[in-house]
Amino acid sequence: MLKEIIARNNITIHGKGNKSMLFVHGYGCDQNMWRFITPQFKDDYQIILIDLVGSGKSDENAYDYDKYSSLEGYADDIVEICDVLNLKEVNLIGHSVSAMIGVLAALKTPSVFEKLIMIGPSPRYINDADYLGGFSQKDIDELLEILDSNYLGWSSTMAPVIMGNADRPELAEELEHSFCQSNPEIAKHFAKVTFLGDNRSDLDKLTTETLILQCSLDAIASIEVGQYVHNHISNSKFVILDATGHCPHLSAPNQTIAAIKRYL
Amino acid sequence: MMSTLKTKYNPTMSHLDYEELYNTSPCGYFCSLPDGTIIDSNTRFLEFINYEREEVIQKKKLTDLLSVGGKIYFETVYSQILKLGGVVEEINFDFIKKDGTRLPVLINSVEIKDTEGHHLFTQSTVFNISQRKEYERELLISKRKADDLSNELIATNKKLRNSSSLILKQKLQLEEFNHHLENKNKQLLDFAHIASHNLRAPVNNLDSLLGFYNESTDIDDKAMLFTKFEIVIGHLTETLNELIESVKIQEDVNIRHGPVVFDVIFDKTAAILEGQILESKAVVTSNFSKAPAIEYPKLYLESIMLNLLSNSIRYRSPDRILKIHFCTEINTNEVTLIATDNGLGIDLKKYGHKLFGLSNTFHKHSDSKGVGLFMTKTQIEAVGGSITVESEVDKGATFKIIFKKNLS
Repeated sequence: MLKEIIARNNITIHGKGNKSMLFVHGYGCDQNMWRFITPQFKDDYQIILIDLVGSGKSDENAYDYDKYSSLEGYADDIVEICDVLNLKEVNLIGHSVSAMIGVLAALKTPSVFEKLIMIGPSPRYINDADYLGGFSQKDIDELLEILDSNYLGWSSTMAPVIMGNADRPELAEELEHSFCQSNPEIAKHFAKVTFLGDNRSDLDKLTTETLILQCSLDAIASIEVGQYVHNHISNSKFVILDATGHCPHLSAPNQTIAAIKRYL
Repeated sequence: MMSTLKTKYNPTMSHLDYEELYNTSPCGYFCSLPDGTIIDSNTRFLEFINYEREEVIQKKKLTDLLSVGGKIYFETVYSQILKLGGVVEEINFDFIKKDGTRLPVLINSVEIKDTEGHHLFTQSTVFNISQRKEYERELLISKRKADDLSNELIATNKKLRNSSSLILKQKLQLEEFNHHLENKNKQLLDFAHIASHNLRAPVNNLDSLLGFYNESTDIDDKAMLFTKFEIVIGHLTETLNELIESVKIQEDVNIRHGPVVFDVIFDKTAAILEGQILESKAVVTSNFSKAPAIEYPKLYLESIMLNLLSNSIRYRSPDRILKIHFCTEINTNEVTLIATDNGLGIDLKKYGHKLFGLSNTFHKHSDSKGVGLFMTKTQIEAVGGSITVESEVDKGATFKIIFKKNLS
């Protein structure tokens, strides 16, 4: 069971400490995205890195289109991971869509989670009446078209190598430079689930202490959306980072580290 | 422009004008800060997007040239890969030109860092892929069609496999049915054989009587012979009716099962035979407590009990008081009905092998017709049971009927 789940989510564990930090990447990437952040925490925390099923080097065969047709499926995986690894007082750091996956997991088993740290969260990307998520259905359709035209080396030669199914040492270097690859069909499905979902009603139920890290200029999750998340989570703190883009842990790692350290 | 280039690349000149090369290359070049702001570009790039230099440099970010969907892809995929690996290649975006029209491009980007590894700026190359994109679009449509077709094939294949297994099932059913028919055919053949054999004797008898009748001239003799005709025809009719009855049983395989209580059927049977029981002074007892009831065709059980009880009475010993006992036993899979008497018994060494055949009689008894046990066996086997007998001459007989266990 433990072995299966470790393989399913490509779980890697390092660092020392009684408390743990569970890092969950968002849409489009994998656990590599935390590489500028984790060295600063590994002396005080057990660092758990995972790839969501269907992303990175997770077990593609475990991708069940029904299970992962909503974020609940991913949240169940998080709960399961904490259970089999016997994690307690978990600090979950979730980027983008995984901030919402973290909310769902914390609602399922509140006692497991000490704190939630959200980076660029959005409970809903599509505009709805007074709520401004920032996007329309048409925008998401266009994203799916772009995904179709960017297979990103997902050819019949590279795919098995990326999936770890082929022993091809001559491709190792190429592999070294391939980040955030995923099966295009799964990537499209995950994009739909991510960008067409609505988790606004879940925010009000959350009681776990939460930090919201928001970039000052983020095309995916605007300050208004970050503020909305803050307003609807009773026990939350809202910090705006002087950084642009959707990934401050990549573009402004030092600021991100400092903000997390202050909070923890 | 071309004339200028020719001059510049004149092999007699020792020095190439790199700025001219930069600006007129068939691909666009631009340089951007880590936050995406474009700080320099070549002329070709500006031509691609239809903007003036002053409108772009230090004023626009790469994302300003993208559609909303493109911006999402830029933030969630392109910039993450670039940050992590320092290079991202062959990304297809649509640039939104100044007039709002679109230009499909392919972008390669590389991070330029200082000696300490700090990201200074990003260099990008842009290729116009309008024609290739058309082709790609057609390929994509073909791929989707192929995928649809493949899914259709899979569905058809599944349907075929389903009907194949259905056909296999039907084949097995047919084989079973065929087997059943073969059995029935054999039974009928046996029956025809026995019937013709058994009917020949009385017919021959009638034939002889007819001969006597025709030859006789005496009126009294003729009247006596005629009464004999009546008797033989009566027997013949009776035999024929019984044969017809036994065929009906063989055909009635699907007769309805229902809960039947042994006590009830036994009491009914004893009542039908009350006259003979009284006349024979038989002591008839029963105990069905071990298996009081069974799922079985009621008519069959009635017929079976009637046959067994009447046989016991008919073949009683004149030397002792007749005792008949009916009871049931239960095993893991079966219910057994046991009928025991202390009558004449049967010489099983002599007759055992044909005890249950049609028209076999083992007693020189006046009303033995040899049809009862054949019918009983047929009725029992028609619903998947069996009948056995244990007997010793002049001690009695025990019939055991094993039913499939279907207790209600």
